[in-house]
Amino acid sequence: MRTMRFPFLHCLASLAIACTTIPAIAQQEGKKEEAQQEKKEEKKEEPKKEEPKPEEPAEVEKPELGADAEEGTKGMVVLEGLSNPCGVAIQPETNTVFVADSGNHKIVKLVDGKAQDVITDFPKDVYGKGPKVNIGPLGMVFLDKDTLVVGGGGQPDGEELLRVYKIEDKAIKADKMAASFSLAATDEIKGEGNFYALAASSTGVYVTCNGDDTKGWVSRATVKDGKVEGYERYLATKEATEVDAPVGIAFSPEGYLVVGQMGEINVPGDSLLTFYDAETKEMLLNLETGLHDIAAVGYSPRGQMYVLDYAWADASQGGLYQILEDNSSDSGMKTKKIMSLDKPTAMVFNGDGDLYITVIGEAADANSKGQLIKVTKEAGL
Amino acid sequence: MFLLKMVPPQTLSWIACLSILAGTTLAADPKIGKVPLGLKPLPKVKNNAMTAEKIELGKQLYFDKRLSADNSISCASCHDPNKGWSNGEANAAGFQGQRGGRSSPTVINSVYQRFQFWDGRAGSLEEQALGPIANPIEMNLPVEEAVKRIAAIEGYQKHFESVFGEQVNAENLAKAIAAFERTVLSGNAPYDRFKAGDKSALSEQAQVGMKLFFGKANCSGCHVGSNFTDNGFHNLGVNFKQDEPDVGREAISKLEGDRGSFKTPTLREIAKTAPYMHDGSLKTLEDVVEYYAKGATPNDYLDEEIFPLNLSQEQKAALVTFLKEGLASDDYPTVEPPKLPE
Repeated sequence: MRTMRFPFLHCLASLAIACTTIPAIAQQEGKKEEAQQEKKEEKKEEPKKEEPKPEEPAEVEKPELGADAEEGTKGMVVLEGLSNPCGVAIQPETNTVFVADSGNHKIVKLVDGKAQDVITDFPKDVYGKGPKVNIGPLGMVFLDKDTLVVGGGGQPDGEELLRVYKIEDKAIKADKMAASFSLAATDEIKGEGNFYALAASSTGVYVTCNGDDTKGWVSRATVKDGKVEGYERYLATKEATEVDAPVGIAFSPEGYLVVGQMGEINVPGDSLLTFYDAETKEMLLNLETGLHDIAAVGYSPRGQMYVLDYAWADASQGGLYQILEDNSSDSGMKTKKIMSLDKPTAMVFNGDGDLYITVIGEAADANSKGQLIKVTKEAGL
Repeated sequence: MFLLKMVPPQTLSWIACLSILAGTTLAADPKIGKVPLGLKPLPKVKNNAMTAEKIELGKQLYFDKRLSADNSISCASCHDPNKGWSNGEANAAGFQGQRGGRSSPTVINSVYQRFQFWDGRAGSLEEQALGPIANPIEMNLPVEEAVKRIAAIEGYQKHFESVFGEQVNAENLAKAIAAFERTVLSGNAPYDRFKAGDKSALSEQAQVGMKLFFGKANCSGCHVGSNFTDNGFHNLGVNFKQDEPDVGREAISKLEGDRGSFKTPTLREIAKTAPYMHDGSLKTLEDVVEYYAKGATPNDYLDEEIFPLNLSQEQKAALVTFLKEGLASDDYPTVEPPKLPE
């Protein structure tokens, strides 16, 4: 079994050609078929009627979910008692794990097995219809050892902030940011909010948003000389894919921007993985995964691709999945369940190959059952 | 873009990519399964290949009132091709005039719906097909009885034998009806032609409405894609404040977050499918736009995509124009009742 990384490359290569030539090819193919059909009709003889065979039960074909499930990987809980943790990031140089303890409206770091406050008193909100969960800070990414960018979830759409912090040794209040940015509403355009997840390149921070439901924006904050300078609506993912809600986001090892399109929360199996050229905004590949609700996307240091499925409609399906090549499927990929997780929200690999995952936990008491789970590098992800 | 150039195309990936972009048809007969402009290729179905003969059989069954207990109701009674494949009433009269609380959803483009029924309790047209026949307040004929009744009709005996290679049974009954329903398609509307480059296809007012539809009015938050539906379930607060509201999807999913949620319907041919909403409680498209513009009916489970829209009267009128003109096809799927087997 080959991994997704290299097949993805040649798939993209084909796609780049396909994108520009398919209409012409399809037209030619269509003409060929028509011509062949005409020839067949000219020579048509009375067809011999074959006895039909009884059919099997009908089934609408859908991407298979977890078709190659081989759960065996174990994780260890390294922090618990969190409230709806929704973001996790690794600090460069120190390898320290930072967690957005969203429902407790703060960011903590893992020190000697315990949570230590880093940034506190974020604005608060309640999210969802059932269960309702408390939220504050959401996605996070480090630009360098001292600069942390945090996506907010505690304020109304349009007032929500993307915040840039200079990390200090002691805890600071949330309003002590070095810079902040919003995407306000106009008479025509809805304001943006719930900045779910962040991915950074040397020139920009890309943020999945949940404001304008007609567009499904991935926004971009420009980074110049290590400083965040501006913030704009950038990629209209819902217009591109016709599926709701960009949530997970990451850069592939090849530098493509990969967005996990969550889909409708109560529609099973409608999540997409979409690859973009971050500079030109061109959509390069759009994969129907068969997963329910992709909440996070990540690559291990070995270049293996993983996603987290939140699976709102069927929590038993929630977990960590690997994305693998499968040339027997229409999409050219399949998913393999690595481990079951109870409403996972975010993940990050450190440079050694250890994986950290945040989970919200038990639905009925979602505001106190959050955990940070570690899958060690020995798992070989 | 050197990464793309350095790797040669691979045949298998070509096929994968082509199938993603171009889709595939499900029909053995190339003429069957062709879709109008603007629609996606039909979803593939295992073990129910569409053939002309099967579709014809399904059409006969669809129009046959002998599939109801008192021989008075067919599928077409409540999903009438002349009434937008719905029935023009808030809810349809079933066996002995009984009425349920929900309206008859249109059959148009139902092949693209991920779920059938307002609460999505069926995952395919085959699963859906037998439900109304057996439902005591609809056609009220137990499926076993329906099978016996159809099997006793000589013309059907021959037709089933020819199509399926066996006598009628519940499974084949459902397959035939589903095969016919998969042919009820509406595309090639002014909106599709406009999108394909014909800028004269939509009136100026309809174009204003279209811009609102995909923008400020937030309609495409749920009515998205070529079939104008996200296939999801949403609480719009329609008559939700009654003492015992219809909980909709929650009854099936058992999830509190689905309380009062109903499936997003297609908007294709929407001008022909009045009255509107899951209970048919809004008579006109003007009423529907007003309802959304005010932010629907707030409740604890109201969908987050619903909020007051701050639309002017002119904007509301433009939206209605887009819905009426833009999504009505010149190739409306008209079907005449067939001659039924004796």
